[in-house]
Amino acid sequence: MVVVVATIKSVMLYEIYTPFPEETDTVAQRAVNSILNATIMITVIIVMTLVLVLLYKYRCYKVIQGWLFLSSLLLLFFFSFIYLQEVFKTYNVAMDYFTLAIVVWNFGVVGMICIHWKGPLRLQQAYLIMISALMALVFIKYLPEWTAWLILAVISVYDLLAVLCPKGPLRILVETAQERNEPIFPALIYSSTMVWLVNMADTDRPKRNSAESPAPSSPSQDDGGFTSSWVSQQEHRLGQLQSTEETRREIQQMPSSRPPVEEDDEERGVKLGLGDFIFYSMLVGKASATASGDWNTTLACFVAILIGLCLTLLLLAIFRKALPALPISIFFGLVFYFATDNLVRPFMDELALHQFYV
Amino acid sequence: MNLERLPNEEKLTLCRKYYLGGFALLPFLWLVNVVWFFKEAFLKPPFTEQTQIKTYVKRSALGLLFWVTVLTTWITIYQHFRAQWGEVGDYLSFTIPLGTP
Repeated sequence: MVVVVATIKSVMLYEIYTPFPEETDTVAQRAVNSILNATIMITVIIVMTLVLVLLYKYRCYKVIQGWLFLSSLLLLFFFSFIYLQEVFKTYNVAMDYFTLAIVVWNFGVVGMICIHWKGPLRLQQAYLIMISALMALVFIKYLPEWTAWLILAVISVYDLLAVLCPKGPLRILVETAQERNEPIFPALIYSSTMVWLVNMADTDRPKRNSAESPAPSSPSQDDGGFTSSWVSQQEHRLGQLQSTEETRREIQQMPSSRPPVEEDDEERGVKLGLGDFIFYSMLVGKASATASGDWNTTLACFVAILIGLCLTLLLLAIFRKALPALPISIFFGLVFYFATDNLVRPFMDELALHQFYV
Repeated sequence: MNLERLPNEEKLTLCRKYYLGGFALLPFLWLVNVVWFFKEAFLKPPFTEQTQIKTYVKRSALGLLFWVTVLTTWITIYQHFRAQWGEVGDYLSFTIPLGTP
């Protein structure tokens, strides 16, 4: 949540620097353009996901790991560099190369260590959140407006299909991972430590005494934004931003039946794909950047996403299989955004105008 | 990664690696080392590797302190004198604020 708020705050900064390039003559043309843009992005995502599934199926683990490594490298160094530049410009602060180099170097290297090797869990979570937020910011900044909304909607639908249909690539990935009893790559998932003893998936995890308060522990909540998504994104960054479905897939792949062998805090908690974070943040970020209703709309979207997430987790606890995390939240978020923007705000304005307090 | 589940030798190797890594201009790594292993080094009942972990944590803290002082002094000097340095100041600057200082 803090992440999303931080994203919002930073997005407010971006407002000054984001010219929306999507200016066309007629509404119809704009609509067509955005549909085309969205289609291109979705196609890229689908292709990347299929590539990832194939790589996974044929056990080309090294390739996948190298890919994830490079993408997280790019994200941690390059994007944070650009982000810092924007922040400093906004606050009109001077910064010298020496300090900047030290800061970016430290941030990046410790991030790589935490995500890909061993590090404290809290720090790893913080880093994953930060890179998701960065990715969302990049999306918000560089995607034209209608395209972004369309992409959000289409991705949710695609997510639903990819995970639940028997032929969906994500489903295949999940099942393959389950068969092989392997954990998904750590760089793609966010795992909380909240454990709920009751609902552990089929394996017998006897003594996990987690002092944590009960939280739905859905061992696998798939699809988040896996890093693959942004991995691919990074690759095509300059061309089109594509969120890689793959990361999402990977996340989705986190099956609930974790290998019963080790008891690890991380295996017990809820696992959410990083792609999910990215798209949630993107929704709220866009809401805050472009809404005419300012905080009202932003808060409404925020609440909508949280409600959607709770519902999804509930469903996860009931069904105990990999579920797409995006559709419900994004759907609620979009509905709330457009409704609030167009209905609630004029209402509030009128009320304030007539000094009528409800 | 949960420290509780690791055997003591592994904790020691991890602490050492973080300590050594910090020499690559990485005070942040030292900070993580100090915070993460603080409980292990000082607040737990003694175990065999604890003395070594203690030394690593202490040295990381020293290194961190050193870096913090260096950076703070440099940043103070830079921010204060940047405008007066003319060209050199601009050359060093990543972003240059608008307006008169």
